Parts: sequence; C-alpha cells; structure tokens
Amino acid sequence: MDMELIQQIRDKARNLLEEGTVEGVIGYERASDGLTARPFFAYEPAAAERLIFDETCIHDLVKYLLDKKGKKMAIVVKPCDSRAINLLLNEEQIKRDKVFIIGVSCPGVVETSWNRRSETLQARCRTCQLSKPLVYDFLVGREVARQAEEETYSDITEAKAIANKEEFWLEQFGRCIRCYACRQVCPGCYCPVCFAERLEPLWVGIRIAPEENRVWQTMRTFHLAGRCIGCNECERVCPVDIPLSLLNRKLEKDVKELFAFQAGLDPEESPPFATFKKDEKLEFGA
Amino acid sequence: MNLLASKDDLIRWLDSLLQERIVIAPVRVQEQTMFQPISKVEEIAFDFDNTTLSPKGWFLPPTEALFTVQRDDGQVNLVPALVERDAVVFGLHPCDARGIALMDSSFLQEPSDALYRERRSRTALIGLACRQALPECFCTSMGSAPDDPSHMDILLTEVKDGYIVQVVTEKGKALVPKGLAKYKGKVPTPPKLQAIPTMEVTSAMRGLFNDPYWERLADRCLHCNVCAYVCPTCYCFDVRDYSDKGKVERVRSWESCQSPGFSLTAGGYAPRTTKGERLRQRFSHKFLYFPERFRDVACVGCGRCVKACPVNIDIREVISDLQQLTEVKSGS
Amino acid sequence: MAIQLTPDIKLLSVELEDPDIRASFDYKPGQFALLSAFGEGEAPFGIVSLPQQRDGLEFAVRRIGTVTRALQELEPGDTLGVRGPFGNWFPLEDYEGKNIIIIGGGIGMAPLRPVINRILERRDNYQELLIINGARTPQDLVFQSEFPTWTKAPRTRLELTVDRGDEQWKGRVALVPDVVKELAPSPDNAIAIICGPPIMIRFTLAKLRNLGFKDNQIVTTLEAKMKCGLGKCARCNIGEKYVCQDGPVFTLEQISQFLEQP
Repeated sequence: MDMELIQQIRDKARNLLEEGTVEGVIGYERASDGLTARPFFAYEPAAAERLIFDETCIHDLVKYLLDKKGKKMAIVVKPCDSRAINLLLNEEQIKRDKVFIIGVSCPGVVETSWNRRSETLQARCRTCQLSKPLVYDFLVGREVARQAEEETYSDITEAKAIANKEEFWLEQFGRCIRCYACRQVCPGCYCPVCFAERLEPLWVGIRIAPEENRVWQTMRTFHLAGRCIGCNECERVCPVDIPLSLLNRKLEKDVKELFAFQAGLDPEESPPFATFKKDEKLEFGA
Repeated sequence: MNLLASKDDLIRWLDSLLQERIVIAPVRVQEQTMFQPISKVEEIAFDFDNTTLSPKGWFLPPTEALFTVQRDDGQVNLVPALVERDAVVFGLHPCDARGIALMDSSFLQEPSDALYRERRSRTALIGLACRQALPECFCTSMGSAPDDPSHMDILLTEVKDGYIVQVVTEKGKALVPKGLAKYKGKVPTPPKLQAIPTMEVTSAMRGLFNDPYWERLADRCLHCNVCAYVCPTCYCFDVRDYSDKGKVERVRSWESCQSPGFSLTAGGYAPRTTKGERLRQRFSHKFLYFPERFRDVACVGCGRCVKACPVNIDIREVISDLQQLTEVKSGS
Repeated sequence: MAIQLTPDIKLLSVELEDPDIRASFDYKPGQFALLSAFGEGEAPFGIVSLPQQRDGLEFAVRRIGTVTRALQELEPGDTLGVRGPFGNWFPLEDYEGKNIIIIGGGIGMAPLRPVINRILERRDNYQELLIINGARTPQDLVFQSEFPTWTKAPRTRLELTVDRGDEQWKGRVALVPDVVKELAPSPDNAIAIICGPPIMIRFTLAKLRNLGFKDNQIVTTLEAKMKCGLGKCARCNIGEKYVCQDGPVFTLEQISQFLEQP
C-alpha cells in the first residue's frame, strides 16, 4: 500500500469536509475481510482516516453520484472511472460544479472478490492507456508512464470462434437469475424505470428463464452500445459468473471500428446513438 | 445408530435413487458449484466448499407456473401445476437444511402454499456435514452447526473409509439401502467457527429501527437482488399472468424487497422511498418481523451474502453494529 | 355485470360459479378479495357489497394499471378469478351506540359503502350518521345512485363536495378536509372512518385531531401492493404489520405505533 498516496487522499478529504466544501466524500475503506476494499462514504472530517487506496479498489464509485444529486460530493476516481464521469457529464446526469474529483494515478487493480485477493492485474488494466484520470480537481499519486499492452480484443476473437455460439450463450443466460446487479452497478444504467420493469410494453416480464434472460442481457448491452466505458463492474458483480464483458466489449469494438468512437474520453462528445447529424454515415448493410 | 457407507456404497445408493426420483446435487458449473438436477451420479461434485446459490431453488424455483388457464366453450378451468416425481436433495449442509425449515414456517403455515407443500413432502433431504468452516460461515451463531442433523432426513459425515450415515427421520430410514455396516468409529470433530456476538438482535432491530445507521449503510448498497437470491431463507416472490399464443399461465418468480417496484402500487404509492428504508426492510424482515411471527431469526449463518455482496454489506457486521449501537444507547 | 360509476370507475358484480361456495361465501365490511383478470394478473379490491346481496359480490374497480384495465374490459358473462375474503374488517359491533362520521374521497368511498349500508340495515343500533363524500369533479363522485337512499335515511346526513365544479354543479366546491373543518363534527361518542388519497387523509386527520378526535376514534383502511393476500410473499408489510392479514383496517392509534409509517 502506498501510504503516501493514501495520506494525500485522507488529508484532502478531511480538508474538504472541514471547510464544508463538500457534504461527503465517496472513497474506499478496508472491507470486512481485512484484505480487500469496499466503497465508503465519509461525512465527518474524522471519518477521512478510514479512506484507503490500493490495488483492491476495483469498484467504480461514479454510480453513487446519481444517488447524491443536488449535493456537492467529493469522489475518489481512477482513470477508468473518470470515463464514467465524462459519460455522465455528457448525458447531463451530473453537474461538474457538484463534484470534486480526487483523481488517482492508478497503476492498475487486481482480480479480487470477498476474502480473495490475487496478484493478477485485471485484463482491462493491462490494456489501459490512461496514466491519470481524464478529469480531476486534485491529483494524487505519482504519474507513471504506463506500459500498456495493445488492445487486440483477443477475448472477442476467441468468443466469436466458439463453435455453437447459440448454445453457448443460452447456457450462460440460463444461469442468469435476474438479480440485476449488473444494471445496478453500471454507471450507464440509470433509467428511472428500466425497460425490464415495464409492463407496458412488456419487453421481458418476470419469468426467469433462458429466453427471457437473453432478451434482458442483449437489450441492456445494446442500450450501452457506444456508452460502455469498460469498467467491467457488471462482470465482477455477477453472482453466477456470466462473461458479460464479452457482450459489452464486442459492441465497444464494433463502435470503435464503425464510428471511431470510444465512450467517456471527452465530455463534449456524445455517443453515436445519442446523436443525429445531417452528414451521418448511413451506408451500412445496403 | 450410525451406519457406514463406503464411497462406492454411496454412489450405488445415489444411482438407485436416481432411477425413481429426481436427484438434486452439487454440480460444478464453470468455477462455481450449484445445486442442479443430475442425470448421472458422476456429475456430482462431492468435494465442494459451498454452493453459490442455496438449494431453496428446488422448493421455490426462480420461476414456476402456478397454474394454466384453459378455456373450453366459455368454461374457464384452472389447471394447477403438478409435481411429477419424488425428489432427493443431496449434499446440502446443515445451514441450508435449517434454511428450508425456516421457509417451511411461512409456506406450510395454513393456508399453506399448495405447490411448495407438495414438493416439500415428496422431497427427502440427505445432508452432508461440513468438514471445514469457510471464512464467511457463522452458523453456530444462528442456531445451526457444521454437524447439525436437524431438519434433514439423513446426515452424512465424511470419514476416512466413506461416510457415516445418520438416520434422522422415518422418511430417511426408508431411503437407506440395506446391508450397510454399523459404524463404530469416532465421529469427527466439527470445525470450530468464530462466533459473532450472540445477542437479542430482534430487540436491537426494534430499538434501532429509526436510527440513521440504515441510511449510512445503504449509501453503498446497490439495491440489486444478489443477497436475497443467494440466501437460503429469503422467499419474497412476484406473480404475474402471461398469455402466449392463447395459453395463459400464472407465473411466480423470485423478487426481493430491494427491487425498485417491490411495493409500488399502480396508483403510484411507494411506501419506501429512501435507500435506507429499502435496505432496512431486508434486515427488519429477517431479524424482527419473521421471528415475531415464527420464532426464529431468518438467517442461518451460511455467509453466502457476505461472499456475494458486491459492496461488502456484511450481515455479521450489521448484527454486531446493532449490538454496539444498542449498548451505546442504553449507556452501558 | 358492470356499471360505470364514474369515467374511470366501474362497479363489477360477480357471481361465484360454484353454488356451494356461493352460498357459504361470507364476509364482513372491510375485507377484500384478489380479483384475477386471467392473462393479465391479479390485484386486491375491497368487497363493496354486503353478504347475501342478490347481485352477488360487488367490487369498485378504478382503471389505473394493467389489471384494472383488463377487469374493466370484461364483458357480462366473462369469467374472472376471485380469491378471498381476506383481511380483517370494521368492528361495527364496537361502534354501536355511537355517532359515525364517514369521510371518503374518490375511490376511497368504495370500502366505506358497505359500512354505510350495514349501518343503514341496522339503523337503530347507531346514533347520528354523517357521510362526507368528496371527489375531484362532480362526475367523479362515487355511488351517486345511492345518494337518495342515504339522504332519506333517518338521522343521516350526506354532504357532497368536489374540488372543481362544472356548469351543472350547484353544490359545495371545497376540499374534504375543509368540509370536515366547516361541519365540525363533535368527537363525543364518535367514530370517524376515513378512506381516500393519502394527501386527503393527511390533511383530514389534522382537522379531526384539531376537533378533538383521539387516534383510537379514527379508523382507516390501508392499501398496499399485494400478490398473495395470505401473508406468504411478505410484500405488503408496513413495518411489522402485514396489510393483508393484520389489516387492512387499522385505527390511527395502531398505525401511529407501526415501525414504518404508511
């Protein structure tokens, strides 16, 4: 653990709370296993001492800003998380002056779950080009030049090579129990009434079965096309290990190729499916 | 009186059960273990810590049709779902057996849930004692134990030469194969668990109902349904009708108090509007409403929610926090 | 059979198919049943008729969602499902000898209608009966065909009010809580039974309390989203009380002690 970095976060958080600049600080603290991290909300200056930052801080905390609309909050943000901030700024879900961003130059996070901490860097970190967050008010950590691997989407190539894809995916969706953890954790999923909760029109209904699950998963993926910022939280939180990153990364790859666009890099640039320009590229599948 | 079954005996036994009944057993699925109906005894994962989901899914499936509606010449008939065959749930740990017993408290109380009752009475429970305690386990603090035979029909305990077979009920007795030798050896010592402070969680829950603790705890809650779905004793469900190509079915599916529309009426009345109220509902149901109706706290200490919660809302921590806050309040 | 009571409320008359069940189906004012529009779903509705009524079971259904719409679209002779009776009831025997004030807003009049009719059936057992029936507009007043019966009953007063009148309306234009304040019923030896939209209840309660009504003199019936109606699905609870089993009828005194507030 980089104690110097942690102290910088704590000092800044304490300072912001003491001066009343923010109502609360969203960061990380040690989880109940004594090994990994969990989200933590500090409201009093003394609580800032509980903040930590290390390679187990895998959670994308940006979603929580949507629960705190109207309140000025500080938030600890990794480079990947900053893309979520840009997405929400672009989609006008958060206001820039309501967020104080404590940016962390993050060397990458590891695969963890409760009481389990590996030394393996997450796949998304290996290809991450960002050495510091794209947007921040205060930067902590030493900015180290990244030695990122090239993004080849090899996992997608492998998935496309599966012999019977229909069978493979129906089997994966067969395990889905529609806990909606993927939706709840995703910063891009914030519809006041999700399509899956609607009765009219009835898109999915309440039946928890492979065909309905398939509708749920594919429609959610499409709603994130060009918007998914690749935090991989959906796959992490899935209790039955469905490889959701394959779905979202497939569309991320397609959008990159078709529109030369990646979500969350620029708060001024809207996702392709949320915009309409007269000079749109229209000659697909003619 | 304990009997001994060798591993071969056990496999033969399960095979013979499989001829006449549905056998639900732990099966390896990718990196996890799940309770599933098996078609061959070889599918069973005998070596497992604990399953990701509890076996409650056999008695209260994630989705099931309660009845279908048939119309003949204007006459409407409701055709209830049938339980086709007897079943055995094999390999469940004592915590899960207790979980089923707790669900029985609600579903079997008159007027009982017909489908649940039918399936329950036609299913036998052959449990497996725990050889080790996992870091998330706290069953001994919640009324169970790694070697507790309660609520099972038969309890198996693994030993060097196979499994000790302990018959618990008449139903279990009828299932045991003939020819098993008596077991005269030592019964293994069950693993020790860390106890969480046992206390009057029910009265603590009542006393702290309006405490700001819940809003603070709910700050990080995602209000997904993971904790409720992996839990052996959460049983809230949703019911809706579906028409598909002329066939009308009434379907029951899992739902939890964390779902957005859980208590939302068509008229727009939503009783629980804050995150804290919503999260508190799950704990107050388990620690307060359920014991007030049915005597026991609705938690068996299996720790699945501890392991599965994406933001580490740890029920053991909640129980301990409630005790601490109660002590602070009472000035002790 | 269905009668249109207001633009969005229909009164459904339901005859139970099985003659034995029909003969033995007994219920009390305040209880409810779950009606199924097969293919759509099920929802709880107060039973607004009295037992042994010739028209069978009656329910007032307000079109507000998918199930209520499907129920309203049923034609005479169509089949629907009925499960019940569930819940507790108004303890009308305990109110004997008292003055009764009935306050209903919109569809809230529905569960109060059998209370009124039961009191009128046994008129001498009760003292003064004051009925305050309010709605958004004159068209939305519920049970208009019964107003003459209610008005003509001895020691009975029917006061109508609307939030907004129309060209034909010659009556009172005022919110229900203000009517309560204006009429100022005495709390002496009185029971107030009130049902309506939450906001109407909130303000009316304040007025009743100002008039000196104690919380154990004020009775209401609560609604909740229900699925099983029997205390199994654990969805309709308000705090430790299951609306389907411990309710839906509660006194304000009871409600004030609930862990959660409706």
